[in-house]
Amino acid sequence: MPHFCPICLLTCPLLSGRLPALKTRQDGVIFQTSKIITHLKKQKYNADYDLSAKQAADTLAFISLLEEKLLPALIHTFWVDAKNYVDHTRKWYAETIPFPLNFFIPNQMHKRHLERLQLIRGESWREDDETLEKQLYTDALECLTLLSQRLGTHRFFFGDSPASLDAYIFSHLALVLNVKLPSSRLQQHLRSLPNLCQYCASILTIYFTRDGETFPRLSPKSPTAESSDYEEEPNKRRNQILSVAVGLLAMVGYALLSGIVSIQRVSEDKAVELGLALEEDEED
Amino acid sequence: MWRGGFLTMSLVTDAFVSQIAAVEPWPENATIYQPLKSEQVLLSDNASCLAVQAFLQMCNLPVLVVCRANAEYMSPSGKVPFIHVGNQVISELGPVVQFVKAKGHSLSNGLDEVQKAEMKAYMELVNNMLLTAELYIQWCDEATLEEITQPRYSSPYSWPLSSILVLKKKLEIKRKMKAIGWAGKKLEQVYEDVDQCCQALSQRLGTQPYFFNKQPTELDALVFGHLFTILTTQLTNDELQEKVKNYSNLVAFCRRIEQNYFEDHDRDSSSSSSLRLPRGPTLP
Repeated sequence: MPHFCPICLLTCPLLSGRLPALKTRQDGVIFQTSKIITHLKKQKYNADYDLSAKQAADTLAFISLLEEKLLPALIHTFWVDAKNYVDHTRKWYAETIPFPLNFFIPNQMHKRHLERLQLIRGESWREDDETLEKQLYTDALECLTLLSQRLGTHRFFFGDSPASLDAYIFSHLALVLNVKLPSSRLQQHLRSLPNLCQYCASILTIYFTRDGETFPRLSPKSPTAESSDYEEEPNKRRNQILSVAVGLLAMVGYALLSGIVSIQRVSEDKAVELGLALEEDEED
Repeated sequence: MWRGGFLTMSLVTDAFVSQIAAVEPWPENATIYQPLKSEQVLLSDNASCLAVQAFLQMCNLPVLVVCRANAEYMSPSGKVPFIHVGNQVISELGPVVQFVKAKGHSLSNGLDEVQKAEMKAYMELVNNMLLTAELYIQWCDEATLEEITQPRYSSPYSWPLSSILVLKKKLEIKRKMKAIGWAGKKLEQVYEDVDQCCQALSQRLGTQPYFFNKQPTELDALVFGHLFTILTTQLTNDELQEKVKNYSNLVAFCRRIEQNYFEDHDRDSSSSSSLRLPRGPTLP
């Protein structure tokens, strides 16, 4: 493992409280960013080794700033903003979650994130409350500006070498910068802060381009892409068959239950008698 | 009625509000509302109230302290304290700082951009860790809840209502803790977090009189509010107090602000109508 491993930290902190997870040999699976960093520090993989005590204090302070100011707006952008949620997040999740679950899980997550915002920003929050929403974004934009001012012309937040604070900040900023959303006020503002854009780009090129890999895809598959049709083909066919089967079952079930069609079980000689009777009827 | 007043205020655009605010000077009859000092107020509320008082005192703005049992329900945001200036009502430290700035009084004008970013970050550190820890200890630690929080919080109300309000508040705080991932924490971990936060603040303060050298800022007011309250409040055990007392420069910092901004004014408050801080316990 390299001395500084941002891959372990680059996970979208929005997705769930249980991510990211790090699988280790001794301690099993460890959840949550802070616990993973603590674990890595115990193993002597420490990005903050060269920091002074004051810089370590600053790290804690800026992480709090991100959590209090930027994170609520990020949650809003992805999960509560109606346009983004319907066009992007729900679609994105529905694509990756297996078939029956993809109808419930995104909605469940939407509700959970909305509740979280309500709890963080006060009881009176509603989905369509414009004043509170405005305040939320004012805070977040201010937070971005403050980060830009703090970074100044430095390469990283504490001079020339990266520390864990850089991983935290980068993971939030890269998400804002690279995601393709229908409406993203955060992205517009971040684009107007050239030093932060430069900062994200440089971390991306230094730490995320090994083996010709590019940055993790941050938008749902576009419906026009040719390859996606082929990828989706087996699932599509299966889903079609399944839906037709379910429809047929429902129709037959309804017909049986409501007595439109009834099945009578009769013994063989009775059937012959019945057949004869029918024939006689016809003759009559 | 108060809530109605806030809504009409928030409908007016920000620029307009600040224009009006700038035109009108600070009135003589500005009032700060907070819960009853001796029998009702809780640790976290007292910290917030003291922070706003300290901030106004540092700005040298006179304000009359009024204690009301229903201050929480009078406040436009549902949080104490709030100030009533002219025809406007503003609650909590952040908005108060902005409002006072619009009137032409600011403590952070002398700071450069990097320092301003750091100041905001440290303020969020206090809100994120100290305030949350205080809420956790008050509402999630069963011993403190039973012995201190429950009797104090329900003191103004008679039986059926008092139990309902305590239960409602308790559930709200528990849900909030769950949303921010604190629900699974043990009391020891919370004390550890407080210690970590105090360590960061202590490192940052160093040997300076205030966080940004000679002049106090709103950060100093906020830190003072929380640490002074923790130091002077008797809880079920001394563990929280001891965490702060370990850092001698923080204790000295609290004493310094108390002497400079509260004791002087107490002496001449008989002649002028400046802040009349109900005399709380002084530092040991």
